[in-house]
Amino acid sequence: MSPRDTIVVTGIGAVSGFGWGTAALWQGLSAGRHAIRDFDRFDHRRHRTHVAAQVPAPPDTVADAAGDTASLADAFAVAAADEALRQAGLRRAIPGLRGAGAGVFFGSSTGGMFESEGFFEALLGERGSRRLRLHELLSQPPSGPGDAVARAFGVRGPVQTISSACASATLAIGIALESLREGETEVALAGGSDSLCRLTFAGFNSLRSVDAGPCRPFRHLREGLSLGEGGAVLVLETLAHAEARGARPLAIVAGAGGSCDAHHMTAPDPSGVGVVRAIRAALADAEVEADAVSFVNAHGTGTPLNDAAEWAALSEVFGARAGQIPVTSTKGNLGHFLGSAGAIEAVATVLCLEHGAVHPTPGDGPIDPASPVDLVLGAPRAVPTDAVALSTNFAFGGSNAAAVFRGWPQAAGSPA
Amino acid sequence: MRSAVVITGLGTLGAFGVGREALSQVLASGQPPRLTTIDRAAGFHRPSGSRGAFLLGSRDLSALVSPATARRMGAPSRMALAAARLAVSDAGILETDPAFAETAVVISTAFGPALFTERLLSSIFKEGPETASPALFTESVASAAASQVALNLKARGPSLTVTQREAGDWIALGEGARLVRTGRARRALVGSVEEMTPLLHAILDRFHTLATADESGEEVARPLDRDRRGVVAAEGSTLLVLESESEAAARGAKPLCRIVATGAGFDPTAPDNGFGADPEGLGETLRRGIERSGRRLHEIDLIASGAAGSIAGDRLEVLALATAWRAAEASLPVLWAPKSALGEWGGGHLAAAVLAVSGAALGPTHGYRTLDPELGVAPYDGRPLAAPKLCLATSVAAGGSMSWSLLEAVI
Amino acid sequence: MTEVSTQDRLRELLVKSLHLDGLDPSSISEDEPLFGGGLGLDSVDALELVVSLERDFGITVPSEDVGRDAFANLKNLTAFVELRQADARRTRSAR
Repeated sequence: MSPRDTIVVTGIGAVSGFGWGTAALWQGLSAGRHAIRDFDRFDHRRHRTHVAAQVPAPPDTVADAAGDTASLADAFAVAAADEALRQAGLRRAIPGLRGAGAGVFFGSSTGGMFESEGFFEALLGERGSRRLRLHELLSQPPSGPGDAVARAFGVRGPVQTISSACASATLAIGIALESLREGETEVALAGGSDSLCRLTFAGFNSLRSVDAGPCRPFRHLREGLSLGEGGAVLVLETLAHAEARGARPLAIVAGAGGSCDAHHMTAPDPSGVGVVRAIRAALADAEVEADAVSFVNAHGTGTPLNDAAEWAALSEVFGARAGQIPVTSTKGNLGHFLGSAGAIEAVATVLCLEHGAVHPTPGDGPIDPASPVDLVLGAPRAVPTDAVALSTNFAFGGSNAAAVFRGWPQAAGSPA
Repeated sequence: MRSAVVITGLGTLGAFGVGREALSQVLASGQPPRLTTIDRAAGFHRPSGSRGAFLLGSRDLSALVSPATARRMGAPSRMALAAARLAVSDAGILETDPAFAETAVVISTAFGPALFTERLLSSIFKEGPETASPALFTESVASAAASQVALNLKARGPSLTVTQREAGDWIALGEGARLVRTGRARRALVGSVEEMTPLLHAILDRFHTLATADESGEEVARPLDRDRRGVVAAEGSTLLVLESESEAAARGAKPLCRIVATGAGFDPTAPDNGFGADPEGLGETLRRGIERSGRRLHEIDLIASGAAGSIAGDRLEVLALATAWRAAEASLPVLWAPKSALGEWGGGHLAAAVLAVSGAALGPTHGYRTLDPELGVAPYDGRPLAAPKLCLATSVAAGGSMSWSLLEAVI
Repeated sequence: MTEVSTQDRLRELLVKSLHLDGLDPSSISEDEPLFGGGLGLDSVDALELVVSLERDFGITVPSEDVGRDAFANLKNLTAFVELRQADARRTRSAR
């Protein structure tokens, strides 16, 4: 059996509540700030809760990158892909990759639902004289953002969007990994994008799983999740491909794995058994022992059920060490993007590896004694730059996904 | 050498009925099921628009999905679970089989649970967000069907929902095969599901996607025809059981076919929700993908195309195929368009291609009358055909995607 | 004119909002466990019930009460709803 290619990240891009670009992202994450506050994406007065991590207006310098896109989720995705491709030095090269040379592997829950809600409100709401604007539906399906990226950069290879709720983007990263390993594609744009919308905001509130204030994953006083929006993209290729063109890897995507709880349509299996299988599958795929994991970017939504199940899983996987591995939850900073959560968390993980520092989760303790993770609070926690990181995402409906990243030692120091 | 992935079970349902036999009859005759008149009472429809669709109707699925199980389910979940149970039974697998612990679920859907999404949005806008129903929300996500299949069959392998419009079916098959091939799952339940609601139908019609009545007075899809004017919408579900060929042999299961290769591509000239202008690019991606698998285009003896009567979509797909075959210096084999009898969406295409390569009789292409000179290809006319050994299924999607699968007969 | 009791209104609400098709509302005894029992109801049903209770009975149900003692059986639920209705009336008349 031939040795397997190492798959590396050569570019990252992100749009989030901290702003447009990975510099803004790292600034917010490393300072332990959060972007969960009052928002004006839509009128939330009659909704049960009133805070979310909304993406601010783009600065002029990046407005063009979003291009002529049909929806916010499309704009986030295209801007993130643009940033990632520029960093990778591939922005102009993609259209020249014939056949399946380049592919897009995305995860999204909402696609252009926010814009479509304008259409539906006119159609289904109080009958008014407002004319129906069909174009508001154009980018409605979850495939919208991934397709927009493929169109914007001239991708001709496989383009697919996974919409498996909160596990989507991590599952998509896993597919990108296999596609590259099998030589199906040479360059993969993996990631995802979602925007805030009334449907998901009302929906999660109807489940009473949204915190009235900014979420507090693993804290004793947590009351639920916070919603967020944005887009994130990672450019992935084999190490051989990167080296051949003189590109500098930022990190290694070592492995991925998935499973399904098959337990309940919304609640996770409290024993964490499904998550354990996904994590172990990812570790096995990465050919890495649990002992080698330096930190965890948790699913960490801040709902009592999710946090408890996650702790149960981490305990099972890491045994006695479970309470000593630094854990962070990017959702504490930026809220839950839903389908594309795994993408922003992957980018956050790569940034942590690049900087040799696990970003803090905002706020302070006390930690819930029933889920005693070593949550990184206050200041970033140092880790070696060739550290191994685990990212977990488990979804509504039971789909679980995990990915393992490893730092690239030469990438230590200031970001590109 | 790793064992190939085979399909050992097929479950399907739609306007044509429930099960393989019902679908096989439609394929053999080439005759579509009766078109159901869509309910236009809500006033969403264009007065001159499309009026019919291939709907499931009041078919009783209670033997496959009990009323207690179906209590909170939307139609996609119910249809997918029913199809999954049919597939599992067809594969000779018991629901108590311990291999379900390592069985993945990969389901494609273009529009997701349309009815529940509409109801949820309606309540949010008419009565206020505080009236949003948690039960509707839970079942309104694209992944509801896959989650319900996994939940009810205790399938604990990876669970994925592909949302890539009309290209999703073959992408789902590819990902399911990949999971089995790479050992991430021992088996995979792979398929497609779609529900067709009055609102969704009205919206598709407003985008001029659907066939309207022509001079014959009928609404009919005319794939590849010079006078084609749109597709016929369909709802339904197809689920397939995938496993490694060696495992199938070990348990004495006879495969329906072998999955030789799958792939996908994209036409970046496509507008949002439309079809692009670069069939040459798609054709090149297709040809390279097939050749990468070790097969040559001239070995393919049947194309189960996804052509469904779309003016731009059929054109793009057929010209892409023509490009690929021209570059390979081979002549196009028989080009079959099963969506002429099954409509667009609902998984009929998946089932049709698998059944064709497993020896099902095929009938002439319903609705086809006149050659389109731009395409220069007529679809299958029902003449005697040797059982295909290697079948290529292709699909192009609104928005730019294309996907394909190469299926081989298992003798 | 006889008024339908709160308890009977709740029986109807349970059957209707939770799509317990074919179940005769009068067959729901006041003592039988609503959740985790023979009706096969779960946490999503509890939340669904809450949306219907708030809309049809004009009450608010605090999150901490959902699925707890108040929801254990029909008898408890009736008492809970009547208490919340009295609270709501007091709040309205205090304005």
